[in-house]
Amino acid sequence: MVNLTLKFVSCCRAADLRISTAEVLDCVSQLSLVNPLEEDEFKLVLRSNFAKSRREQSRFDQMYHLFFHEMKSDLSQVSQSPETEQIKNFLDQLMENDTLDTLEKALADFLAGKPMAYIQEVHKIHTQEEQEARALKSNMSQLASRLQVMLKINQIKSKVLRFLGDNHAAVDEALKKKITGDLNDRLDHAMGLLNNEPRPDNYGLKEVKNHETHYNHIGEIPFASLGQEEIEEVRDVIRKLVKKLEEIATLRYSVSSRGVIDIKKTLRKSGKYLGVPMEIIFKDRPLRKGKIVALCDVSGSVWSTARFMLNILYSLQECFSKVKSYIFVSDLMDVTDFFKDHDVNNAVEKIMKDTHINYYAPTDYGMAFQHFKNRHIQELDKKTTLLIIGDARSNHMNPQDLVLKRMRERCRRVIWLNPEQEKFWGSGDSEMYTYKAHCHEVRPCGNLNQLIDFIEELIL
Amino acid sequence: MAGREGILGAYVERPAKHYNAAYGTFYDAIFFINSYGKAPMDFKSVLDVQERLEGVQYISSKEISTVVFLAQATKKPILVEGPAGVGKTELAKSVAKCLDREMIRMQCYEGLDESKALYEWEYAKQLLYTQMVKEKIHDVISETATLKEAVDQIADHEDAFFSERFIQTRPLLQAIRSEKPVVLLIDEVDKSDPEFEAFLLELLSDFQVSIPEIGTIKAVTHPFVVLTSNNYRDMSDALKRRCIHLYIDYPAIETEMHIVKMKLPGMDEALLARLVSMVARIRDLDLKKRPCISETLDWARSLMVLQIDELSAESVAQTLNTICKHKSDYEIVKKNILNVIKQG
Repeated sequence: MVNLTLKFVSCCRAADLRISTAEVLDCVSQLSLVNPLEEDEFKLVLRSNFAKSRREQSRFDQMYHLFFHEMKSDLSQVSQSPETEQIKNFLDQLMENDTLDTLEKALADFLAGKPMAYIQEVHKIHTQEEQEARALKSNMSQLASRLQVMLKINQIKSKVLRFLGDNHAAVDEALKKKITGDLNDRLDHAMGLLNNEPRPDNYGLKEVKNHETHYNHIGEIPFASLGQEEIEEVRDVIRKLVKKLEEIATLRYSVSSRGVIDIKKTLRKSGKYLGVPMEIIFKDRPLRKGKIVALCDVSGSVWSTARFMLNILYSLQECFSKVKSYIFVSDLMDVTDFFKDHDVNNAVEKIMKDTHINYYAPTDYGMAFQHFKNRHIQELDKKTTLLIIGDARSNHMNPQDLVLKRMRERCRRVIWLNPEQEKFWGSGDSEMYTYKAHCHEVRPCGNLNQLIDFIEELIL
Repeated sequence: MAGREGILGAYVERPAKHYNAAYGTFYDAIFFINSYGKAPMDFKSVLDVQERLEGVQYISSKEISTVVFLAQATKKPILVEGPAGVGKTELAKSVAKCLDREMIRMQCYEGLDESKALYEWEYAKQLLYTQMVKEKIHDVISETATLKEAVDQIADHEDAFFSERFIQTRPLLQAIRSEKPVVLLIDEVDKSDPEFEAFLLELLSDFQVSIPEIGTIKAVTHPFVVLTSNNYRDMSDALKRRCIHLYIDYPAIETEMHIVKMKLPGMDEALLARLVSMVARIRDLDLKKRPCISETLDWARSLMVLQIDELSAESVAQTLNTICKHKSDYEIVKKNILNVIKQG
């Protein structure tokens, strides 16, 4: 039982489930308390110890099914039918060949009921990141490695047929059919593993679909179609809103000096007054809101939303411990300094004029995320809210959503604001549904009313 | 009182009301003996858990009972995840009832720190104490000849300033120091800050807490710990590693019928079946807030009060506000009302 569990654990680890030794120990000790012959209980014990959040459960279920149902790992030591003998023969012959590369070895192991190496290979392909483009940009590297595996699988399939063809004297027809079927099933499963990667069940995702009507006319016009006068009007509204929110926030500040008494410091001060505590020192309360990191797509229509968003964020800087902002099209650039040196509206204008970003390049979210991960990931910590403002239209480039997953692991919350209305998400080249799996909150934010809703929720 | 008896003589004579550790033991001991005869034993098996939870009106799935059983047998905390209103908090309450234990609840929120969760110094008394020490110090050192002796004399006395007598216990410390085992519910742990989460780690793995000025306080008895999370943010691996994970989803139709039947025994069977399947269909709609079990109960109750025994489009619309808490949700359900009320 312990060996079997350990084998399963190494499989899960190959598929990027993080399982510690302590959890394995817990699991084994708990297995002695339930009836492991009943599959429900057995699976439950394994799952409650190895998949510690709902997000991981789908990955776990996949591994469990593969290991205990497809591979029948629990039976492999018991049964010794003639067909297993034959399969073993075939695999031995396959393995004899010294020229096997790692992938072929992994596949041979997979057929022999040891899926670990293969899972690792597949995981490597799924998490493969596009390298920085040197000359010509491509999103093919993942597809290319996938193709390689597919070809290998087909090669082995034909090898199986050839092997059985050579040995037709020794094996009777029915058995031959069974072996081919078995091996082909496993190879098909290997293929399936490669092609379908389960998405995590993002049950905690907050989706905001409706919004309050704060302003009747101006509130409902999409940012992208505002005229010059209307832009001024929106700015006015934002100014008022900022003032209102600031008042609430400063109220919180003034309360902060009435915190809890700091006894150590008070006593130390009292030394001056012959031990009479004349000066009472209070503990400072920490600011309530953490850091904000904003990633703004600045191509086309998205910029009109992003500029208002940045406008608000920087007007409300006081409410956060820090605000960092980046703009991207396919390259990423830190624009925080613009806001330090200029007043908000000027800064927004200046960003459009003075930055060296290529606004005409096709948008590439995957690459932008990767740039962020490579150069600025240290900006994210467990108190940071990552705000992404963009339509997720990535021109059919590799979305590299796993980079976003890595970013999610580093920060407190990921909130995606999409200037498009919800019915357009997922149409055409929009990768919104891919990215949604890794966000804590997604909401359309294309007009003033939606923006106000969001900001009030963020600050208050 | 003479100086020899210690600087704290006054405190020994006049027991502070807040400080009940010395007395707590005594009272607890009596209470323990009294309740011992009827005190239920720990859970014996998964089935036992299920039956006893049902005894306190909590219908649990096999999954829930197994996890509760394992958590109790291996003394590990449970981390419960699931949508709002599926009975995460209720589970902790019911376990407390079953085991006849006191439940201590710790509600988490942003900005929660250890002075609210674990302990706090009673600074008003500490300040009084410093004044008292000043008066008493002459008595203590009056018989000493040299400065060195005087310092030694003071050093011999108990260092009471940062000691247990000035500690005000908060929920976590209370749970740890309780003589009788308790059920500790740490509710909505995902709302707390990362610092607080880090500080829970010691408590959850070793059942002890460290107070810098005093040292480590170990648990007298092992509390049964339940943490709940709505997945507002992801919990750290370190915390997850210390817990058994449990995900509770909305109940299956039969289970939910069972729950409503138990809480509202007078309800007509056919009506109940329709009601519950309708709620299930409403949950499938694209709502801001999906109705939870307690809202099903509210709805059933209001139907009983209004003596409605036929669920038609009008009667549903009339009572819909018991399950739809947003105007937009209300509108969505109304729009789909024919789908919702369709039979079978």
